[in-house]
Amino acid sequence: MPSWIEQSIARGILTTRYPHAPASDAEVPLTGRAPGPKDPGTTPRSAIDSCPVGAIAATTVDQGKCIRCARCLARGFAFAGSVESVARARAELKTGPGAVPTAARPVPLAEFGRSLHVFLVDVGSCNACNLEVLGIANPFYDSQRLGIFFTNSPRHADVLLVVGVPTPEMREPVLRAYDAIPAPKAVVAVGACPISGGAFARNPGLVGPLDGILPVDVYVAGCPPTPVAILDAIRAVAGRARPAEEA
Amino acid sequence: MTRPSWRVESGPPRPSTERALAYAPEDGSFALYNDYADGVAVLIPSLRAVSVTEPFPIWSGASAPPDGPHPLGPRTSVSGYGVFTFPYGPISLGVPESGKFDVTTYGERVLNLAPMGGFKSRRIRRAVVGLPIEDAALQVERIAGNFSAAHVAAFLSAAESAEPHEVPTVELWTRGFAQELQRIYNHFHVLARVAEAASQNVGLAQTHALAEEVLRLEGRIFGHRWLFGALLPHGPPRRLDPAHRKEVSTELVRISGEFERLWTLFLESRTFIDRIQSTCPVSRAEAVHWGAVGPTLRASGVPWDDRLRVPVPPYDDLFVALPHVAGGDALARLTVRMEEVRASLLLLEQMIDRWPTSAAASAPNPPVVEGRGIGRTEAPSGDLVYDVTVRSGRVASLEFRSPSVANWPVFALGMRNAVFTDFHFALESFGFAFAETDG
Repeated sequence: MPSWIEQSIARGILTTRYPHAPASDAEVPLTGRAPGPKDPGTTPRSAIDSCPVGAIAATTVDQGKCIRCARCLARGFAFAGSVESVARARAELKTGPGAVPTAARPVPLAEFGRSLHVFLVDVGSCNACNLEVLGIANPFYDSQRLGIFFTNSPRHADVLLVVGVPTPEMREPVLRAYDAIPAPKAVVAVGACPISGGAFARNPGLVGPLDGILPVDVYVAGCPPTPVAILDAIRAVAGRARPAEEA
Repeated sequence: MTRPSWRVESGPPRPSTERALAYAPEDGSFALYNDYADGVAVLIPSLRAVSVTEPFPIWSGASAPPDGPHPLGPRTSVSGYGVFTFPYGPISLGVPESGKFDVTTYGERVLNLAPMGGFKSRRIRRAVVGLPIEDAALQVERIAGNFSAAHVAAFLSAAESAEPHEVPTVELWTRGFAQELQRIYNHFHVLARVAEAASQNVGLAQTHALAEEVLRLEGRIFGHRWLFGALLPHGPPRRLDPAHRKEVSTELVRISGEFERLWTLFLESRTFIDRIQSTCPVSRAEAVHWGAVGPTLRASGVPWDDRLRVPVPPYDDLFVALPHVAGGDALARLTVRMEEVRASLLLLEQMIDRWPTSAAASAPNPPVVEGRGIGRTEAPSGDLVYDVTVRSGRVASLEFRSPSVANWPVFALGMRNAVFTDFHFALESFGFAFAETDG
């Protein structure tokens, strides 16, 4: 009779090499990479016009607005950029010749030790970001090996992960969750929604970007960001390097 | 000591919930009238070329749910010795989405449980008005990310049926293909969530891994792990040519084998079965009365599936297995879902074998300009209905009834007299999403 132990052994180790090696193509779908013009100096007018969220400008692409809808692909764009669209400042999410240079990953945000306890708050998401965040605990990404743990109480948390576009109904709850986290603490905005409103940026009656109501320390772009990018964002809180920087 | 006593008073059911599935317009021209109580199902096979002029209720009062927190089930008041109500949510431990439950108890048993929605409303119904169909679809697929294929398919099907249009066969088959893949993912996800609630940690890890493999497969075929843009004209390029289909087929066979081994192990785990057997029971009568849909309905003994009852291509041309059991509890719902994984794998295999190839099959989509249409599809958690009006090529109104909305009342009823520790098994077995509840 088969048993769980046999099943586990038969399945073997599935865990990714990331972040000790760059993410593989199996881990990152086409839309998991940041978009940019195929020919880096020229942005076709049609690409600027085609973008439903206005992320594309003449010399920059605002990754914080991009919802990875792929409309610009037929207009001289490609998803060939970084897997980790992670930044410590909102302005650094822009890519392209007109963008501000991204600071090298600086020191940790605070005196965090080797482990980070993460508390997830959904302020109005489509559920995809929630599931990608939970996904970093699956055997393929195994966040625990990197000292990243989910906690069910803000009192035990170091990092507040926020997914979704802030709705008026969730404004008060998320502020109270933030207040309940003991210092030092960090806020990570996961996905286009909390960064810029994403696909819902022009919807009536919403609160607006998360950094209007909370101090955001790390931004991770994507719609939704891949688990690899989310791992990198949480590691950025502790000032840990990316694979390319390690090598 | 005074003996505890309590009294439960329920208001009358909201009429629209009671008849959630019975849409019958005045002139009777519409195809979706069915009455479970009398065992009558009146269906006209063709969903297209149907004209509906008068609005009919998908949500009570034919209007969108109110902004702000509102109850999702029957209104009930409970009073008695030591009875109190505590709020669970909107940020709650163990429920990864934001929604609230008002739990009324005297200490151990749940006397009443009232799910509350409205915390996550992104005002999508209002925001899409005035947008071209393609731009509106970007928001529609983000109503619930894990059900995106079903939402987009129902939305496009509604918009396309607003005018008598021939939609390219390849497009319709791709929608079916995407929906079945996503159904498999969601059923694995539900199994993982129930396993997590039951502290089956090895089973959780293994199921979680299997779900991740389905996501990666979706990413490989459609360029996006959650199929955003995958069913739209200008989305990421699809990889569904013969060589890729063969690869997918091989991968599905492997996933199928892994799944069979896992499910056998789960069924042999007495501790696992103990936690879900007789948890949150929904009787056939309750399911029918409250208009439950999907695996919830089929687990209560009603063999209803839109893929068979309201078939659109490719389902009208394929063998669709219809698993249903009579148990009505969390175990029954999980059993139905796991049987459906097998059914979906079989559907995918049939689609790969018989993929449409003729040139006519892939002619471009003509734009929809004017009209009103209904789209209906079997989402992973059940029947999903869209009602879309198009004016001058732009969305003039959008209304939808999601399976989550239809199933909240029976969850609330099933939790009565349960102990609170059953909450997570019960909740996860329905496969709810607050995201699509609020919209």
